[in-house]
Amino acid sequence: MPILTLKEQPPVPLEAESLSPDVVAALTLDAIRSLPVHLGKSRRSVGDFFEVAGPHGDELEIRGDAAKVKWIGRGMTRGRITLLGNAGMHLGSCMKGGSIEVSGNVSDWLGAEMSGGRIRVGGNAGGQVGAAYRGSLTGMTGGTILIGGSAGLEVGMRMRRGIIAVGGQARDFAGLEMKGGTILLRGGAELRTGAWISRGTIISLKPIPLLPTFSYACTYNPTFLRLYARHLAPLGFVIPHDEKDGAYERYAGDAAVPGRGEILVWKPA
Amino acid sequence: MGGKVTCTLGEVKNRADFIVYWGGNPAECHPRHFTKYTLTQKGRFVPEGRKGRTMVLVDIRETPSVRAADIFLQLRPGKDFEVLTTLRALLKNQRVDEASVAETGLTIPQLQDLVDRMKRARFGVIFFGMGVSMTRGKHMNSAAILRLAAELNAFTKFVCMPMRGHGNVTGSDMVLRWTTGFPFGVSLARGYPRFNPGEFSTVDLLVRGDNDAALILGADPGATMPQPGIDHLARIPTIVLDPKVTHTSRLARVHITTAATGISAPGTVYRMDEVPLPLRPALKSPYPTDEDVIRRIRRAVAAKPAWTSSPDARIASA
Amino acid sequence: MLKITGGTVHDPANGVLGVVKDVCIADGRIVSGVDGGRSLDATGLVVFPGGVDVHTHVAGAAMNFARGVTPESYRRAVRFIHAPDRRAGLGGITPTTFATGYMYAGMGWTTVNEAAVPILSARHTHEELHDIPILDKSSLVLMANNEIVLDLLEAGEVERARDVVAWLIWAAKAYGVKAVNPGGVVAWKSGKNASTLSAPIPGYGHLTPARIISGLAGIVDDLKMPHPLHLHGNNLGMPGNVQTTLETMKVLEGHRAHLAHLQFHAYGGDGWGTMRSEAKALAEAFNARKNLTADAGAILFGDAMTVTADGPWEHVLHGLTGRKWSNVDVENETGCGIVPYTYKERSLVNAVQWAAGLELLLLIDDPWRIFLTTDHPNGGGFWRYPELVRLLRDADHRRECLKKLPPKARERMVLPDLDRQYTLSEIAIITSAGPARALGLSRKGHLGVGADADLALYEEKPSNGLMFDYPRYVIKGGEIVVEDGEIRAVTHGREFIARPSFDDGIEAYLRPLFEKVYTMSFDNYAVEVERLGQPDIHPCA
Repeated sequence: MPILTLKEQPPVPLEAESLSPDVVAALTLDAIRSLPVHLGKSRRSVGDFFEVAGPHGDELEIRGDAAKVKWIGRGMTRGRITLLGNAGMHLGSCMKGGSIEVSGNVSDWLGAEMSGGRIRVGGNAGGQVGAAYRGSLTGMTGGTILIGGSAGLEVGMRMRRGIIAVGGQARDFAGLEMKGGTILLRGGAELRTGAWISRGTIISLKPIPLLPTFSYACTYNPTFLRLYARHLAPLGFVIPHDEKDGAYERYAGDAAVPGRGEILVWKPA
Repeated sequence: MGGKVTCTLGEVKNRADFIVYWGGNPAECHPRHFTKYTLTQKGRFVPEGRKGRTMVLVDIRETPSVRAADIFLQLRPGKDFEVLTTLRALLKNQRVDEASVAETGLTIPQLQDLVDRMKRARFGVIFFGMGVSMTRGKHMNSAAILRLAAELNAFTKFVCMPMRGHGNVTGSDMVLRWTTGFPFGVSLARGYPRFNPGEFSTVDLLVRGDNDAALILGADPGATMPQPGIDHLARIPTIVLDPKVTHTSRLARVHITTAATGISAPGTVYRMDEVPLPLRPALKSPYPTDEDVIRRIRRAVAAKPAWTSSPDARIASA
Repeated sequence: MLKITGGTVHDPANGVLGVVKDVCIADGRIVSGVDGGRSLDATGLVVFPGGVDVHTHVAGAAMNFARGVTPESYRRAVRFIHAPDRRAGLGGITPTTFATGYMYAGMGWTTVNEAAVPILSARHTHEELHDIPILDKSSLVLMANNEIVLDLLEAGEVERARDVVAWLIWAAKAYGVKAVNPGGVVAWKSGKNASTLSAPIPGYGHLTPARIISGLAGIVDDLKMPHPLHLHGNNLGMPGNVQTTLETMKVLEGHRAHLAHLQFHAYGGDGWGTMRSEAKALAEAFNARKNLTADAGAILFGDAMTVTADGPWEHVLHGLTGRKWSNVDVENETGCGIVPYTYKERSLVNAVQWAAGLELLLLIDDPWRIFLTTDHPNGGGFWRYPELVRLLRDADHRRECLKKLPPKARERMVLPDLDRQYTLSEIAIITSAGPARALGLSRKGHLGVGADADLALYEEKPSNGLMFDYPRYVIKGGEIVVEDGEIRAVTHGREFIARPSFDDGIEAYLRPLFEKVYTMSFDNYAVEVERLGQPDIHPCA
């Protein structure tokens, strides 16, 4: 697997969509060094910013603070990217398969419009996780995004399918205009969660402020949550679901649409 | 996903019997709005003038505009989105939570009354200002107004319009749209237009420090940006074109004084309803126009050894 | 100077139907001979006069509104990369201005007619037209819902109406007059429509759509405009609307007129479930009425953007499809509605629409009276005209396409029975010579001496069989602007405007009226001719 170590911080954001397993899989290290990256308006090469070493293959490792490197893993369909450090915007955008692991933080548009694969972030994420790009009708349609830390605005905006799990707190508009799928907020969220949702499930393990257009439905322990809990536990995300520990208050909304989405808020016993 | 339902200002003058001003203070910020377009004019289909119109002011505080209002709805700061979402639900006869509504500073009966009046209007309009577009929620607050206006058309004729700020903001929006496809936040770094507010919009670029030079024309970010953005402008080579020495000029590398457009330089200005008006200069100026200066800069840049952006057009965005 | 040798020339306006001959160019015009200069070997190439689009929407308030509400339409658009001599841009279903010029020229089209301009934003239209490179342009100003004109027609003051219309044409610096859904757009301002030609329009005592149509057609003829009244009829898009179209044609007896995007007005049936193509009946009636021209407004399967002054229709479409809806009402003049739309092969209604457009083109017997358009962007992007050309020239290809439609569709159309295949000369007529003649542009659409040197050269036998998709050369005003799919030179085109006569006293009539119902100073209304890039004024005599 090729190992790319950032040797020079780009002075302005670097657009590096060539850093994807689909692109590097068949390439020699020299060919990887010659791959194009874009620094502002200039076309440069991977080798200008990264030391490239290691055997070739479709598992890519990137080391260093790549917070200003955008579009890593764009549209990837297979293989693996491991980032030992931070990553910039649009990480895993339009991803179809494979996996991305980040030890540090990532910026906005993580996994935007992805349809498959798995992304795992140890640190914090920015806004628009798994979201639709501006004007587009649909965000993520499949796959799994796991964020250990906090997340920014509009997590899962217009997503239709897939799972997003946030360990820390999300900012405003988590689940905005959601059409399906599941968002798990272990650390709760700020304002306007589930705004204008038409379908989908948002699970919050902390109390959250709700829009006036959400109505309390019932308190219960939904069966499907046991499946989710089993699925996410090995990945480090615990979803409480046992009756003796507590139950979920279910809120239906958003009446503004009117939508048939739900927000489940954990109430410990 | 919403579209936009709007009209030109003459339609408001001739037809509107229900006017809502949301998050704006027209009495002070658009001083002739009431008299020229919206309230006091005798319209073709509102011959009674002011008496034939109802004006609702929605804002977080009492401003001088209240004096012109028939109904004043004072909501708590940061609650516009909640109120607008509630209105959308009430429009559809859906249930809303009383306690949550109360947190907005308004009551369900107040909001139901507003909805009923809007439905009964012959021609309604919502003008929305920076109190909506620049407060927490930002574009989603504006989207909420657009959505509400569009949905009201199931019942009656209803439009909305942004109360555009100073200068020719609408004009730059128009020109950017026809030349690049997008109204603002456009990057040409990869050789063709790309749009992503939050990534390419000015405040975000400056605050993150994502640019290494700046050319400022017709704006004063040195006065309005968050401090990290101002600090960044001071660090990088910044060029200012302005008739006056501005806050930004004081931290810029170069300030070029230019003639004031509309006073000493001709052009076209686009009104908030996107109607174009010619600008005929009344005074002469010893300074070059913005256009002169930009053309000269372009010529000088074109004389430099050529740079070409990536010929690889396949990539760069989703 | 340029000499094009050995090409097979199709210049039907001058009776040249596929003859190998030389074409000589000097100073931007066709000349009888040249001494020296460049020589271009056109052996194996077909030489056409440059395409003329008689009805398209490319510039101004409506298109810019569409661009603003659909940023996502640029995601899969062709990208035009900035270069020292070339501006950046995006294609897609609502191309940006620079891209519009490059895309039309890249296809071999050299003149376009912007079909719908409100006077209130004509200034904006001209600014955008100025930013469209290479092409020559003209524009049509919207008149059939202009409340000052309608009031005059209602009062029977035809002479004064004529002077007002003439003044407005010159104020807008337009080339011709456009009528859209007469009476319907003004009715939409109170949420209504005008669906019956003989019924008074909501808000008026006795003024009917029929009266507006005949009134405006008469005025346009009296003013001796180079192009007749250009009419988007009432009830566009509705099942059964062929009746309205036939009635409209009766109303137009005795006048010249051009019927826009006729396909959208050719439907039978009494609801969406029974909708069928009545193009055959419509073509028969049209063939008999020699005073009329029309453009097809054919649809192509795929993404489109409906952008039209027909506000009520757009609201109906929004209700049917749920796609996002945008609307702007323009004071005293007109309006605009926008709904993005996708035509699908599996939709019975869309299959009928697709067939109707082709049926009109195949059944109207005089190619000089029916022109190739998609009412861009309503029926499909203009860069897809080559697909229509292929469908008209190749009956087998049509039959293959028919197979993809729902079987029930075949009962709603006659297209499966039509074997006609357009000849190359006929294609040259419907894409160039015919529209040029209908527009009254005497130096366009042909290659006779004195004509503007606008030409498109296509491979006679291209390896991929798609002759019209990639012209080998495109020449504009004598300069090679496109070669092998690459833009070689960027020229700046002219804007054709008409100057009809009017009584100078009409301004005194208009000024107080204007100040009462508009919201700007009367002196700011008319566009100054200096604001236009290269105006070419056509006196109307």
